[in-house]
Amino acid sequence: MSDSVASSHSIPITLIGGYLGAGKTTLINKILSYPGLPPGTAVLVNDFGDINIDESLIRGASNDGTVIGLSNGCICCSISNDLSKALDELHGLEVEHVIMETSGVAEPARVWQHCHYPGFTPMACVVLIDASSYAARCQDKYVGSLVRAQAAQAHLHVVSKADLNPGFELHHLTPQLSSQDPDLIETILRWQHVDDGTFTDLLLLNKPSFRAQTWYQEETIARNSLDALLNNLGKSVQRVKGWVDTFEGIYKVSKVGSVATMTKLKDNEPRPTILGLVIIAYGDACSISESIEQAGALASGQITMTFSS
Amino acid sequence: MLTLYKARSVITMNPSMPRASAVLVRDGNILEVGEPERMQPWLEGQQFRLDEQFADKVICPGFIDPHLHPSMAAVLLPMEFITAMRWKLPWGDVEPVSDLPAFDARMQALHRSKPAGEPLFIWGYHQLWHGDMDKIRIHQVSNQRPIIIWHRSFHELYMNDPAMSMAGIDPAQIKPGLQIDIDKGRFFELGLGFAINRLNPWILAPEKYAQGLGRLKQVVHHGGHTSIGDLATGLFNLDAEAKALTEQLEGDNVPFRTRLVVHGTRLTQGGRKPEEGPAMAADLLRHNSHRLSFSRHIKLFSDGAFFSQLAQMQEPGYIDGHHGEWLAAPEELERHIRAYWLAGYQIHVHVTGDLGLELTLDILQKMQDEKPRFNHGFTFEHFGFSTPEQIRRIKALGGQVSANVYYLHELSNNYAKSGIGYERASQMARVGSCFAAGINTTVHSDFTMAPAEPLYNMWVAVNRINHEGQVMGAAEKLTQQQALEAITINAAHTIGIADITGSLRAGKRADFTVLDDDPLNCDPMVLRDIGICATVFEGRVFPIP
Repeated sequence: MSDSVASSHSIPITLIGGYLGAGKTTLINKILSYPGLPPGTAVLVNDFGDINIDESLIRGASNDGTVIGLSNGCICCSISNDLSKALDELHGLEVEHVIMETSGVAEPARVWQHCHYPGFTPMACVVLIDASSYAARCQDKYVGSLVRAQAAQAHLHVVSKADLNPGFELHHLTPQLSSQDPDLIETILRWQHVDDGTFTDLLLLNKPSFRAQTWYQEETIARNSLDALLNNLGKSVQRVKGWVDTFEGIYKVSKVGSVATMTKLKDNEPRPTILGLVIIAYGDACSISESIEQAGALASGQITMTFSS
Repeated sequence: MLTLYKARSVITMNPSMPRASAVLVRDGNILEVGEPERMQPWLEGQQFRLDEQFADKVICPGFIDPHLHPSMAAVLLPMEFITAMRWKLPWGDVEPVSDLPAFDARMQALHRSKPAGEPLFIWGYHQLWHGDMDKIRIHQVSNQRPIIIWHRSFHELYMNDPAMSMAGIDPAQIKPGLQIDIDKGRFFELGLGFAINRLNPWILAPEKYAQGLGRLKQVVHHGGHTSIGDLATGLFNLDAEAKALTEQLEGDNVPFRTRLVVHGTRLTQGGRKPEEGPAMAADLLRHNSHRLSFSRHIKLFSDGAFFSQLAQMQEPGYIDGHHGEWLAAPEELERHIRAYWLAGYQIHVHVTGDLGLELTLDILQKMQDEKPRFNHGFTFEHFGFSTPEQIRRIKALGGQVSANVYYLHELSNNYAKSGIGYERASQMARVGSCFAAGINTTVHSDFTMAPAEPLYNMWVAVNRINHEGQVMGAAEKLTQQQALEAITINAAHTIGIADITGSLRAGKRADFTVLDDDPLNCDPMVLRDIGICATVFEGRVFPIP
């Protein structure tokens, strides 16, 4: 299969991480049954064990049973403890995009390195956060550091089981979706992480994608500067979330579409550990970078902004 | 037909009669151990043969390695060894090669000894001794012959240009990725998998694998073993392994038996629930043959590899602040353990760091609370790091220990300097405390992680000397008696064969390891050099040339 590394482009890999029970399998099942799943999507799972594939979707399986072909032109593939073998097998097939479930005890950053496998390239790391157990797990003597690392290494958080813990709040300036979000699958499929703030030429440039940039607040600003910032973001900006310190107090900020809400933190509420905003934009690379630049230019006139993606 | 073996001394490992001078054997079983003149009642009216070939030798119970991996060994053993430590192999001793020029000289000599064009696979390279490796260095030996150099840890390899073209790897097509350094010819982590997938026709070809298992058979025999434990059957592929093992390790010419302990998580992989595992494992027993047997034992895994510093450590952890890794989520490990605990299995759990041990002890405690069991044999395998408090818990919960003491020899110096500091590194393999607490304790090689030489393990356990010659954790030294127990009767208990072997007494199988010197009365420093002249497996003599 050595000729396969000759293919001209690298296949992007989206990682789905998160601790045991955070909802990875549920999410994978949703992806597999998503009507808009583009042909050529390969879903890599640790084990077919809990995966539900509608019988009517199954078109055939490989001899050793590790690859299942689906009638929508996608495939589902079991890693079975040998990721390199699974990736080499994918190379012989017409695959455009890989969605890879990581083990519940994997650190996403370590698996991210694995995505540099010849012929592949990492695209985004999505980590599921179980709202009902996250806080307790972070303190666990065995997996506390692992669960914290998983959350810290994510490019996109998907909060699951929020119904079991409605007040759950994750103090991370990482873009965040709910597992109930109607656009969840589309957003995950199109999420693109950019390593160093420059847009790479590798991926999906002809297709719109989701990206996020984070503004870390260094100085206290005026409340009206914040209003101006939120009102003047480009059309490609889908969501804004974060905490901002103003001369009138700290505001929790959330903007979905054109509706922005700002809630002042009460004195008795805990102060967030990180101040800033995460801005999620959708569109082609050009429109996103313009929008981000606009926001940056606007803000730079009034406040110091440091962006990092 | 009866055979009476006389010896300079017989070490029985039967505490009720530690020494004797003869063993009487019929049909592979021991009739009596003791003094010949007291054996007359057995001999009267019977034909018997007096065998005095061991008259000036010392007969011990056959040695047992309760934890090694024949399938992994089969992949490695066809390769050439260039190692920093001495490896005694049946086809010749591998002398230590401990610096860069010596490594290159040895590589050169191996190259010259091979027919042109034949690929040269080398195992044992380690940068701490052998300097930085890259393909330019290999090309100085040959840029014609494919040469593949495997790291001691198995986690990386180096290839020269001919090796890459043999494997169909075109450097121009490898984009800058983090786990292949194509200019150096270095493949690691997943890049290693990429390389192995392409080298498989050379390393996993059926005839190579069979050759490897054939060599393993020799290694096991030469180490003086008469029983071994395959502590993760099904690591690669259960059916294929079972078939190959049956072909190579069963039959009259095989001088040892193998207890097969199936890899628990692999067994139920592919959609079976852990709760189905016990019945699936029990079903394997119908494949048992004379030398190869499954039993109600199961292997499970807690934390990461010792050689890669991925053991999970309690505070204060690693000096550089990195964390180890879990091989399964704690909840998953618990679920598997519970399934087999409730079904009455003896459970063997791979534990390397003291946090991995703590987790496994917590789970064992939970199991005892839910369904108390006695004499369950729950075994902590490898047992790299532990605390004195954990020794008490192991004892209180009825656990046992199977330690890889060789880690102490090869890695304690490295761990002291660039891992976890001297105090904890010097106390790895805390086996003296285990004996003091009355825990059944054995030692193993995890071959090919360590040489399959029980006498070498005995030497390490007794002397606790690292590769730099320093004594590490002197308070944890074993006595020679304890160390011999570890590689015989205690090992037999650990893999569930103490009813038939592990000591010499009436009723057990006639399994002996025959030594040139007495391992209980010799200078402890010569233990690893004692000559093994033969083994006897079920009454049949297998000389070691």
